[in-house]
Amino acid sequence: MRVTANAFSSSLIAQLNQLSTRQYQLQNQVSTGQRITAPEDDPIAMQRTMDLNTAAAALQQRSTNISNLQDRSTLAYNSLKSLKTLSDRVGELATQADGTRSPEELKSYATEITQIIQQAAQLMNTKGANGYLFGGTQTDQPPFAVTTDANGNVTGVTYQGNSNVASSEIEPGVTLAVDVPGANTTGTGPRGMITDSRSGADLFNHLISLQNHLLAGDTASIAATDRSDLSKDEDNLTYQIGTIGAVQTRLDSASSAASTQSDSLSQMISKEAGADITSTLVQLNQAQYAYQAALQSSTGLLQRSLLNYL
Amino acid sequence: MLGLFGTLNLGARSLQTQQTGVEVAGQNLANINNTAYARQRVDIQTSPAISSYYGPEGTGANVVAITQLRNSIVDGQIQNENSVGSYWQSQQSALQYAQADLGEYINLQTSSTSSTSNDTTSGLAGDLSDLFNAFQSVATAPSSLTERQLLLNKAQTLADRLNQTSAKLTSLGQDLNTSMNNDVSSANSLLSDIAKLNDQIVNSEIPQGGVANDLRDLRQQKLEQLSQLVNIQTSTAANGTVSVSIGGTTMVSDRKVLDTLQTYDAGGGQMLVRAATSGTPLTLSGGSIRGTIDVRDGALKTLSSSLDTLAGQLIAQVNTLHQAGYSLSGTTGADFFTGTDAATIQVNSALTGDPSLIQAAGTAGASGDNSVALALAQLADQPISGLGNQTFSSAYSTIVSQLGNNLSTANQQLADHDAVSSMLSKQRDSVSGVSVDEEMTNLMQFQKAYAASAKLVTTVAEMLDTILSMKT
Repeated sequence: MRVTANAFSSSLIAQLNQLSTRQYQLQNQVSTGQRITAPEDDPIAMQRTMDLNTAAAALQQRSTNISNLQDRSTLAYNSLKSLKTLSDRVGELATQADGTRSPEELKSYATEITQIIQQAAQLMNTKGANGYLFGGTQTDQPPFAVTTDANGNVTGVTYQGNSNVASSEIEPGVTLAVDVPGANTTGTGPRGMITDSRSGADLFNHLISLQNHLLAGDTASIAATDRSDLSKDEDNLTYQIGTIGAVQTRLDSASSAASTQSDSLSQMISKEAGADITSTLVQLNQAQYAYQAALQSSTGLLQRSLLNYL
Repeated sequence: MLGLFGTLNLGARSLQTQQTGVEVAGQNLANINNTAYARQRVDIQTSPAISSYYGPEGTGANVVAITQLRNSIVDGQIQNENSVGSYWQSQQSALQYAQADLGEYINLQTSSTSSTSNDTTSGLAGDLSDLFNAFQSVATAPSSLTERQLLLNKAQTLADRLNQTSAKLTSLGQDLNTSMNNDVSSANSLLSDIAKLNDQIVNSEIPQGGVANDLRDLRQQKLEQLSQLVNIQTSTAANGTVSVSIGGTTMVSDRKVLDTLQTYDAGGGQMLVRAATSGTPLTLSGGSIRGTIDVRDGALKTLSSSLDTLAGQLIAQVNTLHQAGYSLSGTTGADFFTGTDAATIQVNSALTGDPSLIQAAGTAGASGDNSVALALAQLADQPISGLGNQTFSSAYSTIVSQLGNNLSTANQQLADHDAVSSMLSKQRDSVSGVSVDEEMTNLMQFQKAYAASAKLVTTVAEMLDTILSMKT
């Protein structure tokens, strides 16, 4: 083939262009640590990376959800624990209030029960970051309202909430309700904390009846109905403590699953989009070497022609 | 017999011949960097012999022609390859703009530093997942105004991005139409240049005979420039003129431009090309004009309509769920998004003024109810029938991947074209390229011959002197 003067320079330019492009790409990969940056680099890997990113973002959101739910559940648990302590004291008082007590003693018991009712109502009106904890989905008003008579005795406690609870997503497609409504008399859904038709629990009304019986000195009724009623409340509280414990265990395991998943997702993302630094550096060196070789060999050739010898 | 004067004459013609050789070598060297130039060669022929007692006797040599070395097959292939190259080039540049307009890039470095989001892509994908995650946040804390405000911000960001992307793609379409119009007017001026050159070539070749090399070089260059804009078919007539036809319509024939290109609106703002005089719509098969049309009506149209579908589905699905919900103050029936497509999507302005109006609850008057917010959040993982049973995120990543595929095809095709066209130009160079070494050698050859011819003239002159000095 006949090779002319300009054939050298034009093919040199083409080669140098190619090598420069290659060096540019490889250098970019090394400095960013990424094999792909734009969709054109590898459309399929780009799509997979985007899908993985969406999954990672959703996972992070669920982790946030879980930690919010954990906070709420802990708050509910603490209230419940205090309520349990109160309930234990009620049990003691109900047991002590037998026929051997003087009316004065019974009256002082009644005063203590009144206090306990007030205290329990206050506990049930605990407010979290997302409103009242025990009003079901009615989170914008105190769930329990206490009415008293002129002597300060409690005449009634009304529940102003509802029996629905909100559930949140903790795993893809898996929702969990951490809240416990204050009362549920519908017979379906989560059991009520204070009043529940299925377990027969109705703590406030039972306490009021105990208070009234103590005031009236009616130890027979206390023995006949109040003690057994209160034991139902006791059972319901124990059940609720167990439920909250189970919810917390589930939240913990979902949280650790989320962080494991998040690790594996970021590994997958960097596998998809990340550059293999070692092999990229080797390739970059090769490209640089070729570039230098092309420059060196051509400078000699381009300068020489027959003219140098005439 | 030539005689002394005849020989003197022969010497003079030889001097002329060698001088022409030097001139052509000079012309070649002068055009060494002219890409349109094909090297020329002097054709030397012996002059007619005269009869003598000893048989026909030579009378020296004459220059009969200066011919150029061109391979018309390679020229034709270069024309075709030009059309292919510029076709993909215009696709590539349009798709690169579209890729930049989408702004979907991966940046792994941000994931480690930014604590708010583990998002490694920029662009719509992040905004889309931010929206659904904000719905999740509202679902976890339905009565929190902070979360509601955040949701509105994320939704606004997404809507703005969709609006901007749609506007950018629209203006890219307009830019492509402008560049097509420019290409069409360049093609028309090239057509008239070619007709003019045809005329000049006929004018200079017919009266004097011979070949107008340099005008033909220039015409070939114009043809190659034209073939970058649009794929052309050429044929050379006996008188040396080239006729050019585009998409089956003859544009230049003999020395006249018969027809020109014109853009027209084929309906709905779709600009296509037709022949101006005959009004025939032209089916172009290559070149930057066809590339522009194809990318505009192909990949870019699909891209914008996919984005519109995505936005339309998002608006419809979110609104259907949102309308059924109840706000913190118990109102219901409001839309979350307004608009119908990517260009018009907006967050309902009533909501942006008052985040408590977001209808997150499934029942009235239950501020802790999150069932609607939860359903909205779970929309993220639901296959949407209007999007080919893909989720919103995967539908969008498919859109991006399609664009990436188109662009990577264009890149690949251009790389192939570069290889072919560099091979073709090497072939052309090997035939038509000027070599310094060759021309220097020729220069020396003609110089030596010139010196030798001069020697002949002086020798004959001395001989004449000798004759003349015999009579004193």
